Amino acid sequence: MGPVPRTLELFYDVLSPYSWLGFEILCRYQNIWNINLQLRPSFIGGIMKDSGNKAPALIPRKAQYMANDIKVLRQHVQVPIQFPKDFFSVILEKGSLSAMRFLTAVNLEHPEMLENVSRELWMRIWSRAAEKAGMSAEQAQGLLEKSSTSKVKNQLKETTDAACRYGAFGLPITVAHVDGQTHMVFGSDRMELLAYLLGEKWMGPVPPAVNARL
Amino acid sequence: MGPVPRTLELFYDVLSPYSWLGFEILCRYQNIWNINLQLRPSFIGGIMKDSGNKAPALIPRKAQYMANDIKVLRQHVQVPIQFPKDFFSVILEKGSLSAMRFLTAVNLEHPEMLENVSRELWMRIWSRAAEKAGMSAEQAQGLLEKSSTSKVKNQLKETTDAACRYGAFGLPITVAHVDGQTHMVFGSDRMELLAYLLGPTLATSTPKNSVQSLSFFSSRREVDGPCPPSRECQTLRLPGGSKLLVFSVALGAVSLPPTPKDSRKRSTISHVATCTSMTHKCLSESPSSALPQNKSNAIRQNLSRSLSVLVLLVCSFLVSYPAHCRGS
Repeated sequence: MGPVPRTLELFYDVLSPYSWLGFEILCRYQNIWNINLQLRPSFIGGIMKDSGNKAPALIPRKAQYMANDIKVLRQHVQVPIQFPKDFFSVILEKGSLSAMRFLTAVNLEHPEMLENVSRELWMRIWSRAAEKAGMSAEQAQGLLEKSSTSKVKNQLKETTDAACRYGAFGLPITVAHVDGQTHMVFGSDRMELLAYLLGEKWMGPVPPAVNARL
Repeated sequence: MGPVPRTLELFYDVLSPYSWLGFEILCRYQNIWNINLQLRPSFIGGIMKDSGNKAPALIPRKAQYMANDIKVLRQHVQVPIQFPKDFFSVILEKGSLSAMRFLTAVNLEHPEMLENVSRELWMRIWSRAAEKAGMSAEQAQGLLEKSSTSKVKNQLKETTDAACRYGAFGLPITVAHVDGQTHMVFGSDRMELLAYLLGPTLATSTPKNSVQSLSFFSSRREVDGPCPPSRECQTLRLPGGSKLLVFSVALGAVSLPPTPKDSRKRSTISHVATCTSMTHKCLSESPSSALPQNKSNAIRQNLSRSLSVLVLLVCSFLVSYPAHCRGS
């Protein structure tokens, strides 16, 4: 019997482009590394408020940096991510609360669908391509209704609070549970360091594997 | 004649711990990658002001994150970096303006010393260890005086403005000039991405010593992590399992300027003592072997050493893709 898989918790929000990149990299590695990847839909607005931080996009140079960065990372990480033309007006104003409540509902009712549905939401916001998550219209409708129940609202709040207790000031954060210790890493560009903490092999953002996506 | 080296500009401030990490990683790679590394001492306070950003240490959770992060990166990057006990009171209040003006003066008067002196300043601020940069007391005094001239003040301002024009909102930033394009990357954790941007002609392959190594990245740039195998960067195991960067005797002998006999002797002796006692161990071991192992690095390093011995036999089996040359 092999060693016990290490638990990795990925806290993410679909509003966060780096969350998508971190998500895809970890999804590729979940079948390579000896890990148990747990997806934790969180609300980045809540984390910003609780930590006293502010969204990088609000600093002009950070916004500019992100726009260029995403272009390069698109190629390097091989994720079809693009800054939407209407990013600032639609996304920053609209926010991600309903989307993340929706994913929380998915996680409560159909956890096996969470990965696909999360990806579909990112695709819709951050990519010209769209993808069917395999969810029927009725299912989607039902989950949308559940999204506004107290149960779902509280669950999202709890998950976001958990991220804050781990020390989050933004997203994505990955929390690795290794030999009784907890390590929190921030960002999608810390996967090599994560591998080091896990004692696993890092093979870049696109590891050669049959199960790798995209 | 090989391809033209790509220019990399590293803008840094000794107040910034991540600047130190980025600096050490790039110093290691400057003799491996086909690059021309240009050090650009900058003033992080000026960048923060100009960009409307604020120091991460001012957000409590970011400060806490940095403190933990530095502990882990100390091992992973193998730099003896530690959060000073009096960080907030001394460093944030005192600031780095005079230190960066000093380095600007060094860069104007003795550019060949900039790397060592920068390292010494980081050592003094961010490490319990101190190290002699090989600068005499008179030299230091002279440079300190020059630091407050308009020439030096303006130079620092110009360098900081250059960083701002590249889009900096913090430090370190590395600016790569590749095929007529400019790429700015922020942070010390983007070196793999930098390698990717520098592309296929990164290799410093010479026909005679060309050694190709198997890569786990297929068509991507190969990066051996923050501690590539190289004779210029050897590590010394200290009690407690921590490691200290030791610079080769050759480096010390060549770049040390004329100094008062005993101080040079002290630093050279410490170099010689540590290098000779550990040379055999260092040359035969991968630099990171004493630490919680990143298996991929060890595997890759051991593999590359075996290949260098069996180069004729394995040539035909090697995957041909852009690779850098490791002379061995």
